[in-house]
Amino acid sequence: MARLLQSEEDEVIGSKGVIKKVEFVQIIAKALYSLGYKKSGAHLEEESGIPLHSSAVNMFMHQILDGNWGESVATLHSIGLKDESTVKSASFLILEQKFFELLDGGKVMDALKTLRTEIAHLCASSNQLRELSSNLVSFSHDLRAKSRPKLLQELQELLPPTIMVPERRLEQLVEQALTLQRDACVFHNSLDREISLYTDHQCGRDQIPSRTLQILEAHSDEVWFLNFSHNGKYLASSSNDQSAIIWEVGTNGEVSLKHKLSGHHKPVSSVSWSSDDGKLLTCGVEESVRCWDVSSGECLHVYEKSGPGLVSCGWSPDGKSIFSGVNDRSICMWDLDGKEVENWKGQRTLRISDLEITRDGKQIMSIFKETAILLFDREAKSERVIEEDQTITSFSLSRDNRYLLVNLVGPEIHLWNIDGDINLVAKYKGHKRTRFVIKSCFGGSEQAFVASGSEDSQVYIWHRGSEELIGKLSGHSGSVNCVSWNPVNPHMLASASDDGTIRIWGLNSHLQQHKKLQQVHSNGGSMAAAYNGRT
Amino acid sequence: MDVDPPNYDNVTINDSDVHSIVLSYLVHNCYRETVESFAAGTGMNQPADYLEDIEKRKKIFQCALEGNALKAIELTEQLAPDLLESNKDLHFDLLSLHFVELVRSKKCNEALEFAQTKLTPFGKVQKYVEKLEDFMALLAYEEPEKSPMFHLLSLEHRQQVVDSLNRAILAHAKLPSHTAMERLIQQTTVVRQLLNQDHAKDGHPPFALKDFLNG
Repeated sequence: MARLLQSEEDEVIGSKGVIKKVEFVQIIAKALYSLGYKKSGAHLEEESGIPLHSSAVNMFMHQILDGNWGESVATLHSIGLKDESTVKSASFLILEQKFFELLDGGKVMDALKTLRTEIAHLCASSNQLRELSSNLVSFSHDLRAKSRPKLLQELQELLPPTIMVPERRLEQLVEQALTLQRDACVFHNSLDREISLYTDHQCGRDQIPSRTLQILEAHSDEVWFLNFSHNGKYLASSSNDQSAIIWEVGTNGEVSLKHKLSGHHKPVSSVSWSSDDGKLLTCGVEESVRCWDVSSGECLHVYEKSGPGLVSCGWSPDGKSIFSGVNDRSICMWDLDGKEVENWKGQRTLRISDLEITRDGKQIMSIFKETAILLFDREAKSERVIEEDQTITSFSLSRDNRYLLVNLVGPEIHLWNIDGDINLVAKYKGHKRTRFVIKSCFGGSEQAFVASGSEDSQVYIWHRGSEELIGKLSGHSGSVNCVSWNPVNPHMLASASDDGTIRIWGLNSHLQQHKKLQQVHSNGGSMAAAYNGRT
Repeated sequence: MDVDPPNYDNVTINDSDVHSIVLSYLVHNCYRETVESFAAGTGMNQPADYLEDIEKRKKIFQCALEGNALKAIELTEQLAPDLLESNKDLHFDLLSLHFVELVRSKKCNEALEFAQTKLTPFGKVQKYVEKLEDFMALLAYEEPEKSPMFHLLSLEHRQQVVDSLNRAILAHAKLPSHTAMERLIQQTTVVRQLLNQDHAKDGHPPFALKDFLNG
């Protein structure tokens, strides 16, 4: 192999002039070898004149793989390592391998000799020596020595990269670049994990729901709230018309009415899905909370207090208890039979307030003052507070329970980190609000987006990380009160409006599919009352 | 200042009790000749073969202390046949004395073989595994007396094992495994310490046996 000239050793390539040619060629050669292309690797070394390893290192590698322990330790000393402790650790690894191979070969006395004369003084601690010596009397018949290639790999990790190029370095560099691209992609909203290496990854807007696919018209008055179930198969909506509706999301994405839940005598302000999506809670404003069976639509129980009315509802994660805010400002907890199990008095909630419970069942969150949210840990009996500078109208909890999205009168939406120290992370603006309670939510692939309703009848979508407004969806003819993003299908969004309808939003490409489906249906027979091909 | 309550003078002591206490101490520690002359001098009656038993026990301990653990085991088996069977800890400790002896005489290969054949069978029980590891670690050092486990080579360690063996043999023969003397001293110490705790604020120094004995 040709030796490199000094000038060649400093040569750089690439448009920015930061890549050293020697290193570049070496990691390519290394990648070729690890892919199994030995001939190509060797050829590259020869053609470029850039050897992957020095001859001493090559000899060392062969000696390890052949089991020439003594010689490999000697070579180790001649490789030119500056750090004494590295030499010591590497020698230890090699001699440890020798020890174990002798034991596995039944040569116990030789192993003992190696231990006493060669290894003992290299041990970092007496515990290490003790552990090794305990192998002299074994209780199992398993092999103790690792494979020689594995030993070589461990040695490679120990030695500095200038001596031995780390394994899979090229792969690592490529993965870093891909991760950066993905993080920078504002519209990235796909379940698809593959990114091509040919071009920089950049999703287009076509990954964000932007077209109305369906208009659901079963409510007879303003629709105030809606929420997809955890499994994305159902949608529950609640309305000023004193009812709630459970919708089913079909396999082709088509939403149809499943059950209409009547029984409340007051407008239904919110719903809550049990963690297994088998039951639904609905809350009548300052009235009662009802528990419904999702598959039959039957009302299983009515929770109420004599006197004060209930204002919010939530499930405990184990499905065994129900929480509710009361208009006397307290929060109470019932078991499924309706027995009140606990009661937290004092100013815990306002008349209009969301209620959220974390997945571990420990923290309960509610708006307890106009400008503050209380995060109450019922196990540790401790409280934390998020203080805002404006009145809070609603909030929602992220799926990983680490963030809280808070809607303010501004109108502004604030994103708070509640994991560990509480701090404000981002702000989202642009939507309109003057009089009503508007709700926002997290959504999309890995909850990378924030969506909110608005009084100008549009749905607003922001990219969570960059705070950039990336979508305004129009179609409704009344204030959009609430939005919910399907947790399982990042391309499906639902919105609830004062115009009495619910709109299902999807990708532009899906719209074309839907149109085709509509043609099929209109040739067929009856259509579900909720389905309407209007856009 | 004397803390003893004055009324202890009223407690009478029986001579024969004192003789028993002294004799039991001598018997326990195998002072054969002293036992003979003391028994004769005080006119105490003892069973016929007790002197022989003392002699046998004495032989066992000497062997063990010198490092001839295998002989000690043999003699123990003769004197108290199923003792070691039912007392695994002791058996292990005695065998390991032999192991340590081999290590001390630099016969490492023999030591390893011995450990593999005699000691590893104990390894099925977790508590012996740790002890075994201690002993194996001894082998790894070219100068075991400089290792962290050097105490295993010491006379104190052998003495401890011998003490346990002694108590086990006595118990086996239905004799007390602790001498009356030991027990009395232990009890007194505890009682005095408790009393002292109550009176500590009076400024009395804590109880020390040595001081008591020195008057």
